[in-house]
Amino acid sequence: MFSHSIWLIGIALELALIVRGVQRGLLRRYPVFYSYVAFVVFTDILLFAARPTAHSYLYLYWIAEFAGLLFGCVVFFEFYRVALKPYPGTARMARALLFVLFIIAAVKTIVTLMNVPEWWFYARPAQVEGVLRVCQLLAILALTLIFLFYSIPFGKNLRGILLGYGFFVSWSVLCLALVTAGVAKADSFWSYTYPISYVLSVVVWTVHLWSYQPNPIPDRAIPLEQEYQRVAAATQRRLHTARGYLAKAVGS
Amino acid sequence: MISITLAILICSVVMLSLALLATRGSSVKRELAFRTDVPFYDEMTGDPSLCPPEFAARIFSPADWAFVSGEKSPEVLRLFRHERRVVALVWVHQTKTAIHRIMREHTRAASQSQDLNVATEAKLWSHYFQLVGICNVLILAIQSAGPSRVGTLATYAASLSHNFADAQHALAITTAARDLRGAGAAH
Repeated sequence: MFSHSIWLIGIALELALIVRGVQRGLLRRYPVFYSYVAFVVFTDILLFAARPTAHSYLYLYWIAEFAGLLFGCVVFFEFYRVALKPYPGTARMARALLFVLFIIAAVKTIVTLMNVPEWWFYARPAQVEGVLRVCQLLAILALTLIFLFYSIPFGKNLRGILLGYGFFVSWSVLCLALVTAGVAKADSFWSYTYPISYVLSVVVWTVHLWSYQPNPIPDRAIPLEQEYQRVAAATQRRLHTARGYLAKAVGS
Repeated sequence: MISITLAILICSVVMLSLALLATRGSSVKRELAFRTDVPFYDEMTGDPSLCPPEFAARIFSPADWAFVSGEKSPEVLRLFRHERRVVALVWVHQTKTAIHRIMREHTRAASQSQDLNVATEAKLWSHYFQLVGICNVLILAIQSAGPSRVGTLATYAASLSHNFADAQHALAITTAARDLRGAGAAH
């Protein structure tokens, strides 16, 4: 009963988010994010209608879970693209950092598979999802740190998307680690926190995406001409001083 | 899959970073309105907050300490110890503030640069973290052991901060020139 209530609240909030997005024209600004929410609503309704005891439910659940994970990566990419559009330098750093993370993850996977080649055959879906969610979480962390280091400003809408999704992925990693370790079992306290974390994320999204708020962009481009002239003037001053020293040295 | 401890650690770091990002939103916005009128690097006035390395060497030098100790006056010795500690701490805080300011100016320029060199940028960040770490260690060391015992580290920090400022300045010139060339080519 309790899990059904969480489910229904989640679906209602997601629908409210989509309706509000249509009303406020947010759909064309963040198309991938709203497609993701629509996809989650669809799978939620589908899973709600299916009988949890049926064998097909299990397949449906894991297919929806992995598709949601991949969709989440695309949402992350959309976030990166929109937030860093006016900042090509920071975007380049973010790409480099994400590339390094990808290489580390790939190397670690290859090393693990070389040690235990049968891992893919015996791994449970929760284990595979856990590994992928950790990679996603590290990518979110890298991007968040880049935003902090470079003081990149962004509007309420983008902030909400990142906060909600970051919280959801963090909690997923924690729950999946507990499931893998055998701490969290079906119908335990932890099994309820996972859907609750998603509902909380939808609440964050609904609050932050209630209306459109543009991203703050720099008032004007960095005055490179001005900066160049300043540097040129400084160099000229230094040359003048050097010439003075030279004249003194020759004179003496 | 990772262990529970590692999962808790990563999740905590992510949540803290996100919380920091959420609370910093408004301050960054305020800074954005203010920032465009400030020049990147003022050659005319130089960097007033970054003292020369000789100054640091003098603050942390044991010579003054030996001289005051030779006076055999406990009151003067106590006063000297207190004053020198305050001056040393002020110097560390000033250096730290200067480093932060230099890095802030740099990130402002770098964020919008069209042709950023990732390796140089990474090196600059590593120097920055190293300097901030040394400054924090110095603050602790000055408070616990006194300035005369950390002279070598302070001199190292002073020279490193000057190298850092010079490197940032050189990078700013290169980036500005490169971007200007790029903008010229675009027109």
